[in-house]
Amino acid sequence: MRILTCIKQVPDPESRPMINQEKTWAEYGEYTSYWINRYDEHAVEEALRIREMIPGTTVDIVSIGPERIKSAIRRCLEMGADRGFHLFIDSEDYLSPSIKSRLIAEFCHDMKYDLILTGVMSEDMMSGQTGPMLAARLGIPSATSVMKLSVNGLEGSIQVERELDSGHRCSMDLTLPALVGVQSGINRPRYPSLSNVMRAKNTEIIQIRLENSLLKVVSCETVEKIQEAGSDRAGIRLEGTTAEKAAVLWRMLREKSLL
Amino acid sequence: MSHSIMIMCEQSEGRILAVTDELIACATQIADHYDSRLTAVLPGLITEPCSISGADLLVINSPGLAQYTCEGWEKAALLATEQIKPKIIIIAHTSTGYDYAPRLAALLEGCCLTSVSGIEITGDSISYRRSGFHGKLDLLYGVGKAPLVITVLPGAFPAPDWQAEPGITRIIDADIKPKLTSHVQFSIPDQSNTELDHAEVIVAAGKGIGQAENLLMIRDMASCFKRSAIAGSRVACDNGWIEYNAQVGLTGKKVSPLLYVACGISGSAQHISGMKDSKTVVSINRDPEAAIFRYSDICIVEDLEKFIPAFLQEAKKHQS
Ligand SMILES: Cc1cc2nc3c(=O)[nH]c(=O)nc-3n(C[C@H](O)[C@H](O)[C@H](O)COP(=O)(O)OP(=O)(O)OC[C@H]3O[C@@H](n4cnc5c(N)ncnc54)[C@H](O)[C@@H]3O)c2cc1C
Ligand SMILES: Nc1ncnc2c1ncn2[C@@H]1O[C@H](COP(=O)(O)O)[C@@H](O)[C@H]1O
Repeated sequence: MRILTCIKQVPDPESRPMINQEKTWAEYGEYTSYWINRYDEHAVEEALRIREMIPGTTVDIVSIGPERIKSAIRRCLEMGADRGFHLFIDSEDYLSPSIKSRLIAEFCHDMKYDLILTGVMSEDMMSGQTGPMLAARLGIPSATSVMKLSVNGLEGSIQVERELDSGHRCSMDLTLPALVGVQSGINRPRYPSLSNVMRAKNTEIIQIRLENSLLKVVSCETVEKIQEAGSDRAGIRLEGTTAEKAAVLWRMLREKSLL
Repeated sequence: MSHSIMIMCEQSEGRILAVTDELIACATQIADHYDSRLTAVLPGLITEPCSISGADLLVINSPGLAQYTCEGWEKAALLATEQIKPKIIIIAHTSTGYDYAPRLAALLEGCCLTSVSGIEITGDSISYRRSGFHGKLDLLYGVGKAPLVITVLPGAFPAPDWQAEPGITRIIDADIKPKLTSHVQFSIPDQSNTELDHAEVIVAAGKGIGQAENLLMIRDMASCFKRSAIAGSRVACDNGWIEYNAQVGLTGKKVSPLLYVACGISGSAQHISGMKDSKTVVSINRDPEAAIFRYSDICIVEDLEKFIPAFLQEAKKHQS
């Protein structure tokens, strides 16, 4: 079985995005940490588990982005993935899911993947679009928010269980090739073993350069303006030392008869 | 210039769900400026006569649509677009909506925006608002090629309290069968948690508690209050710190206690949707920009490992 897992590298959620002068995008400082989107880590783990069950399975990784994302692809190789593909673009600008799904669809063209795994969404942009759009462009079925996945070996299909709103579930069989958007809780991602870390050191990440102009031509949704998020509640911020804040909180809750 | 807006009804067992009125409310905002025609589309196995207020209704009726499948809904929506030729398609951002909406946009060679929370109209152009950068910033999007498919966050466009006239209902009997999807089965896992359901105060732990040992602190804080319970974000549950039956949010429980204390929770839209009706919200987070502060009455920018012990100390002082 040939599996492709799409991954995105995301910035540390505690780092501060700085709005640019034109107010059209935000950038992160030089010392920001980046790591693999949490949902994608679950997707990689799921791919590796399938490979352990079905001999002869290969697990490829693909990610679109600038130089920095190499470390995320490398981490997937350390977890045990076979090959890493870096669709290199020399830009930190907004890449819409429409574009990303087009680029990955093009990449998939001659690769004959049986199963494509993505995360249910990216933690920073939260679109949840890239996977289903990619599946539609490839003409294959897809399921999002998947909490269970098993391969029906002989039948050329998979059984998936989706998580619905309020925690309800729905299971179904999908004919392969298919795409699955993985939800957290499906598994516990492994830590790389020493032997895999060593192996990954000697595995080259295959880089495919994308033309920046290509991205402009197919552009669709664009960010026109970006601003600080508005507030739903007029919250007050407590000031002072830790102990002072604790005392104020205690008093405020007391006044509300909560204590 | 007049154009068509298509709204996909959210349904359960053939009955239109209330969230559909919110989609109509969103469509109406756009229609007021563009003199658009609103048509709601209801895919399903529809046995009873139906209509919807504020829009015409196009029923796509087929035995193969008796239950939701991505394939079935996609085919039904494509069939409807041939009839309606919409510039904009509005879908609810639910586990059904986000499953097929992006596919529909790709197949129509159009644009797609998910989790839309607002619309801004200036002159001749519309921008769509959604949140990004871990919920810290609001992004306003413009769109190019029609049609545009958007999924709208439930709760973002309140339905009007008055009922507009229902439009005309038209039924298309179709023969839609999913070909690549089979053995569809729904289930409802038992997630009951009476303690949480009855709690007046909920102290919730997020990924920010860092390790299982810190749960002790969360428990101690909860026991400062009468009728209290502990709960968690999805990540806290995924990490095995909190039971899944105490997960608060979109896929967990909806709670509305007198007091909700969020400890080390970032404030993702999915978590907020489960606790935003709490009477008072207190948040403890070391990141001054964390989104949770936008939904809080009392904001405490602190490391919880320092703050919670200080609060427990304070509580002790008052006990003795
Ligand atoms: C379809 C779908 C459904 C979902 N349903 C739910 C749901 O029902 N409920 C839910 O909760 N999530 C749900 N999620 C997940 C959601 O998107 C977020 O990933 C999740 O809520 C984040 O959990 P968190 O806030 O605990 O972790 P994070 O987002 O990682 O935030 C941790 C926070 O802790 C703070 N922190 C770290 N260390 C400290 C410290 N020492 N002191 C103080 N603060 C600290 C950080 O600043 C950060 O803000 C869903 C996601 C999807 C895609
Ligand atoms: N730059 C990228 N390169 C490869 N895959 C991506 C990229 N961005 C998003 N994805 C995949 O698409 C999923 C959903 O992302 P999004 O549509 O941005 O919310 C992620 O979990 C990844 O699996």
